Amino acid sequence: MRSRLESLLLPLAVAAVLIGLWHAAVRLSGSDIFPTPGQVLTGTVELAQKGVLLRYVIASLFRVSTGYVLAVLIGIPFGLLLGWFGSAFKAFNPLIQLLRPISPIAWIPIAILWFGVSDLAPIFLIFLASLFPITTSAIAAVQNIQLVYIRAARNFGLNGVALFQKVIFPAALPQILTGLRLALGVAWLVVVAAEMIAVNSGLGYLIIDARNAGKRYDLVVAGMVLIGLIGLGLDWLVRQLGNLDEVQWGLGR
Amino acid sequence: MSKLSKILLSALGAVACIGLLHAWLNLGFDPARLLQGKKAEAEEEMLRVGFLPVTCHLTCPVTDWINQNLAGKSRFEPVRFSGWPELKEAHLSGATPATFMLAPMAMALREQGVPVKIVYLGHRDGSALMVRKDSDIRTMRDLRGKRVAVPNRFSNQFLLILKGLKDHGMTPADIELIELPPPDMPAALYARAADAIISGEPFMGQTELDGYGRVLYQAKELWPSFISCVLVVDERLIRERPEQVQELVTGIAKSGLWLDASMEHRMKAAEAVATNYYNQDSRLLRYVLSKPPDRVTYSKLSLAREDFEEIAALALESGILDGPVAFEEYTDTRFSENAAGVGPHTWEAP
Repeated sequence: MRSRLESLLLPLAVAAVLIGLWHAAVRLSGSDIFPTPGQVLTGTVELAQKGVLLRYVIASLFRVSTGYVLAVLIGIPFGLLLGWFGSAFKAFNPLIQLLRPISPIAWIPIAILWFGVSDLAPIFLIFLASLFPITTSAIAAVQNIQLVYIRAARNFGLNGVALFQKVIFPAALPQILTGLRLALGVAWLVVVAAEMIAVNSGLGYLIIDARNAGKRYDLVVAGMVLIGLIGLGLDWLVRQLGNLDEVQWGLGR
Repeated sequence: MSKLSKILLSALGAVACIGLLHAWLNLGFDPARLLQGKKAEAEEEMLRVGFLPVTCHLTCPVTDWINQNLAGKSRFEPVRFSGWPELKEAHLSGATPATFMLAPMAMALREQGVPVKIVYLGHRDGSALMVRKDSDIRTMRDLRGKRVAVPNRFSNQFLLILKGLKDHGMTPADIELIELPPPDMPAALYARAADAIISGEPFMGQTELDGYGRVLYQAKELWPSFISCVLVVDERLIRERPEQVQELVTGIAKSGLWLDASMEHRMKAAEAVATNYYNQDSRLLRYVLSKPPDRVTYSKLSLAREDFEEIAALALESGILDGPVAFEEYTDTRFSENAAGVGPHTWEAP
């Protein structure tokens, strides 16, 4: 009970101190461009009153979840295959390593040329950003399975689909989930860059739009805070997956 | 069913719900219309027109606003961008067959083989070279060794600086030129990241309104009847839907004259555009459209050879263009000629 309370109170105390420092820094520097925490809060309330806050959150969640789900649907099977078949791994791994370090921002021009101005372009960017962590973690997960599991399964006569379903997938799951958690963070991270493309909704758009709106840096920071808070929530959700019995397999606990 | 599959299913369900909510809240998806089996009519007739929230492109939203009020709907859909590269790329992708664009950028695209034609001007004047109020920069010469921000190297503001330097016996090597998106310029000037900034309004006026910027030169002082942006269309659009291009050009001509007809028109347009198209505080647009009233003008928007030859010469000199380009090559003047005789919209904003 005490540790529960602590894990709630300690971060809140840190946040309170930081917000206090932020406020003091703006006041002391006399900046009338950089917003105080209070102004950011007022800006957020203004957004909510205009009815755009919910719309923007939904729009960003839509783009991130669609791009992410596509990446999961393609990345996990692809990664499992490459992890299992050595020659496929040899064939594709250099390509993956070549594409992986390219920032989604670099893809923006190409995304616009291919997909024009619609939701597709940001979804494509988020898909790209999350595809590589998911694929590489699935590859590594299969490659790291202890051989003894597979030998034992074979001794019991398991082969093909059954081997995959009963042994390989469950054994790889914990590491795949780590990749999923990482990828969701990355997907949410690129939402601002992805929404730089002419969409007219979303939290990334909110930040870009606020830059167009003159001295509305309160809305820029409001967008940042909202992205952070939602990211925190998403991470918490994915972490809950790790507590399931099914994924404790292979952790040796 | 295992716990894991339950969780996966509910995650997929949540994603689907978010998708539906997004379609409803942001994409204007109307379930009622779907049930009636009615398709949105004349979808293919809509022409998307790209623009940035700058006064150089003001006639784009104003034309749409007046069309909405006069006819209840518009055949043009203004699509707002935040930066030059995205605006250009969307045009190249075909998403915005018509777009407002920097004149030298359009010429350079043409030179590179992109089938674009300049059909009309967007504005006259409407740019200013700003410095900090407390700086001791008083003339072009004082800019020596200073950092000057321009919107883009394909911008006419960049050429304007070159012209100004030349007229004062200086060269680009005398100053430090940087490229900065116009929305970021006021903050850069405030934070002293740039000593001078130049772009289309309202970003320059904003520094005055917020009390730290001072006009060093209005564009017209360095380059009379300055043009920065033009209306560009894809050649295919001219071939396939010339009447729609004409409608757009005539609409812009009439809106421009309407804007210049009275200060009352300007103030009402500022209010409507700031709220519905720019998402800015309308104080800013009201300020740049009135102080002084000829800070930016929208009356003489016909294509004139001399204007472009001057731009082309500077662009060639600065290396934006590789070789000489012919006026006939990058413009199509027929729409501008047909719009020459029109008067302002006969409409009073409510």
